[in-house]
Amino acid sequence: MLHVANLTKRYGHLTALSEVSFSIRPGEVLGLIGPNGSGKTTLFECLGGVLPADGGTISEDGRALTERERRARVFYLPDAIAPWPAQTVRWALDFTAGFFGVRHVSDTCLTPTDVAAQLALEPLLDSPIGTLSKGQRKRALLGIGLLTPQPILLADEPFDGLDLRQTREVAQTLRAHAVSGRTMFLSIHQINDAARVCDRFVLLSSGRVCGEGTLDELSAVAHKPGERNLEDVFLALT
Amino acid sequence: MWLLRKEWRELVASRSWWILLLAMGPLVGVSFISAVRTYAEASGLNGTAVGQGVGEAFSPLVGVWAPTFSACELAAAFLLPFVGIRLVSGDRQSGALKIELQHPMPAFARISAKALVLLAGWGIATTAPALAIVLWKSYGGHLYPPELATVVFGHMLNAGLTIALAAATASVTEHPSTAAILTLSVTVGTWIINFIAAVHGGVWERAAGYTPTAMVAEFQHGLIRLDVVLVALALVFAGLGLAAIWMRLGVRVRRRVNESIALGALTAAVMFACTFVTPSWDTSESRGNSFPEADEEALKEIRTPLRIEAHLAPEDPRRADLEHRALSKLRRVMPRVQVHYMSATSIGLFEQTAPHYGEIWYELGGRKTMSRVTTAEGVLEAIYEIAGVKPPPEDEESIFRGHPLAVPPTGAATVFYGIWPAVIVATALFLRGRASIR
Repeated sequence: MLHVANLTKRYGHLTALSEVSFSIRPGEVLGLIGPNGSGKTTLFECLGGVLPADGGTISEDGRALTERERRARVFYLPDAIAPWPAQTVRWALDFTAGFFGVRHVSDTCLTPTDVAAQLALEPLLDSPIGTLSKGQRKRALLGIGLLTPQPILLADEPFDGLDLRQTREVAQTLRAHAVSGRTMFLSIHQINDAARVCDRFVLLSSGRVCGEGTLDELSAVAHKPGERNLEDVFLALT
Repeated sequence: MWLLRKEWRELVASRSWWILLLAMGPLVGVSFISAVRTYAEASGLNGTAVGQGVGEAFSPLVGVWAPTFSACELAAAFLLPFVGIRLVSGDRQSGALKIELQHPMPAFARISAKALVLLAGWGIATTAPALAIVLWKSYGGHLYPPELATVVFGHMLNAGLTIALAAATASVTEHPSTAAILTLSVTVGTWIINFIAAVHGGVWERAAGYTPTAMVAEFQHGLIRLDVVLVALALVFAGLGLAAIWMRLGVRVRRRVNESIALGALTAAVMFACTFVTPSWDTSESRGNSFPEADEEALKEIRTPLRIEAHLAPEDPRRADLEHRALSKLRRVMPRVQVHYMSATSIGLFEQTAPHYGEIWYELGGRKTMSRVTTAEGVLEAIYEIAGVKPPPEDEESIFRGHPLAVPPTGAATVFYGIWPAVIVATALFLRGRASIR
């Protein structure tokens, strides 16, 4: 189990993250829920090592991880990027597998072809990434993320730009990867999407964790036992 | 290997590189055609200098290759930085850097891969001057490989400096346009150092000897100075190191600043140490950077430290003559020679009536002599006089006679203004079809 403790990030006088603490369990789909500006992307960037945190630790089984160890465990897939825009989707997937190393699922290698099939990327394989629509690019990015070998994938807004059908298909794919042992930590601002796909939730508001747990656990904390609507629980807790 | 391949694909996909390639042909063409025409006229083409022996003293290095390769200097200063900035900034702009940074590879290895690919890209761009060499040979021109190799090496080193600078500015700044402005500011800054050196001399003159312009000028004359090479390499590593430091987005800015300061201090110390390195090699066929061999042997026998005091202002043309025709050659043979310039003004115009202005004093083992001659022969004569050494006899056979060539640059215009651009455009379009070029 990975434990994040007291993670803090400031931009000058503005505190983007204030002593954020939560746990990530192996093989779960964990949802990071919060409104725009709550610090979701900042939290992911700090965990992914592309933004320096001002304080806090990431530990595994009680031992703080070094930078190298963290990199070996966590891969962060940013939102709203178009990496290598001149290169084709096929090349991007091949490069990811070649550069980061192959991911093994149940003793078999996960190949770019497998991922392309899972995310319905076959028709886009020869298209340059820069020419893709928002939804297509999102699926290509998810393909990149799924190919990386780290056991924990942080995906920032994985359903952003996808239509309803694609959202459901991608959610199924992510769940399938979680079932095969990969931990998914998804930052989602659409609470209904999160409720559909996640096992547990971390609720973030104004850079603070307002709650962590399953829907039942959060409902209990919000004094709304039995409440099945995540939106209502979220509003009660924030 | 994956990263090198990726960087290569990114370079091939960048329009800026293709524009560099496209521009190289006409740039080299203008320089080469003009140089060959002048060389031919001086060699007697159209009866311009028949029988006057003007062409006899001509060296292809100075007459053709220095001007031809000067196109590379222009491209390295004004085109190559943008190719480098595009390759480094592109990853940050597209978000690819955030993905690639999560690989445990050290940042220096990452930026080195970019630099290697850029250098390879520059190597392809220098196919244009290589074509000029082929054309020159087809005209029946003379080639002296060591001096040509020195010119090529000098321009590769200059390209390395440009790439390192572009990588550093692109990593330090958030936006490519800021990086471009910063890179050009550094280039202009080196020109300002050259200007100040010309006016004030002294330390500035010493510093100006290590600017890219001065470095390239020496290589273009077939001179390889180890101190210059080492300083350039130190700057290349410093530039790439700075780029690597600032590429690590996940490291606190304060730490990156501290590391940059430490790198700057280390580089300054290394550069300072390098300035005391004296070996140099004159690879020119004409031995244009050296005294005649017999004189060099005679000078090496003088063990006592020599002190020269020249009363000449920095902007006095006689000082430039003295420096380039004699003292630069003397320093190569006698590294312990001390040269002191004395003047009250920078231009010397109003010092002409001063009692000692124009005098050059030589002091060796307590003996002194004065001369006003700024030629190599005059300086050697003064040194031999106070050293009590008999001047060696002039060796007629060792005098460089030059390689005149009275042939016009036939076909060069077609190659550089027609075939080169057509081939570049066709190749770009072909590759666009294969792997979509943006």
